[in-house]
Amino acid sequence: MEKMVRKASDNKYLHKDFHIGLNFGIGYIAKLHGDDAVIEYLKEYARVFHKPLREDVSKRGLAALEDYFRKQYETEEAADDITFERSEDELRISIKECPAITHIRKNGGEIAPMFVETTRTVNETIVQGTPYAFELISFDIDTGASEQRFYKKEAGA
Amino acid sequence: MISCTEFIPAYSELFKYLEKRDGKEAVTKYWDRIAKDGLDNLHREVSQNGLKGCWNYWAHALNEEAADFEMTLDEEKGEFRIIMHHCPSKGRLLEEAHLQPYSDYCGHCPALYKGLIESYGLTYESDLSGTANAACAAIITDPNVKK
Repeated sequence: MEKMVRKASDNKYLHKDFHIGLNFGIGYIAKLHGDDAVIEYLKEYARVFHKPLREDVSKRGLAALEDYFRKQYETEEAADDITFERSEDELRISIKECPAITHIRKNGGEIAPMFVETTRTVNETIVQGTPYAFELISFDIDTGASEQRFYKKEAGA
Repeated sequence: MISCTEFIPAYSELFKYLEKRDGKEAVTKYWDRIAKDGLDNLHREVSQNGLKGCWNYWAHALNEEAADFEMTLDEEKGEFRIIMHHCPSKGRLLEEAHLQPYSDYCGHCPALYKGLIESYGLTYESDLSGTANAACAAIITDPNVKK
């Protein structure tokens, strides 16, 4: 007989196959209900899940966003794939390679065309109701390489 | 990007979105679709290795998910058991005060696994009575093994 006993503290929480699960879900909604439904769902998700981050952005501004994305990429063991350039009014983010897209492709998956919205719609929603806005400047669906910026609305023209 | 560590809240919100849009049946249909087309690794393991395949699949997933669990595989008895002391997914949804888990969040496990497992001639039973505390159990048996 084989037996395995584990405490939560025995392992790091990093189940990358969840990226495949999210890609599956995005593809499912798009096929069944259309692209607008994907955006509607992701807005709702980001509105609920990112409430604490949105509040932090309202208090600390762009530094809160930089801290959040730095930690997110460290958790994904991809800290070298993200760089930041921050001024008072703008945070520019350069992504060399997206860990989610890398994992999905490594496992033979096709990226759902609307997967880009997990960046664009989610980031737009994070800063909704704050003095900031988000722009996805470029996005490569093959690698997830992207250029992004959060900027103060008054300075964003 | 939604990090894989942020997937569970996204999953729960997806169930809520589907239910709000088209009722519980829409959620059940989604789970059926995942079981059919979204669990290739589990299909492969169970079809090739039976109960041992279940062990392989959940050993990988539950370690990566940092679950608090016990698993046993008794091939002579034809039995694979998981006792989940604290599910990291449901636990996360319960711990974060600003999140409200989908009302039948834990229902996705038997919905995904029972039909899939039983399509390979095994039986799947689960105990969800402890899910309010992020605890549950499942037993998969091979009826062809003589006890």
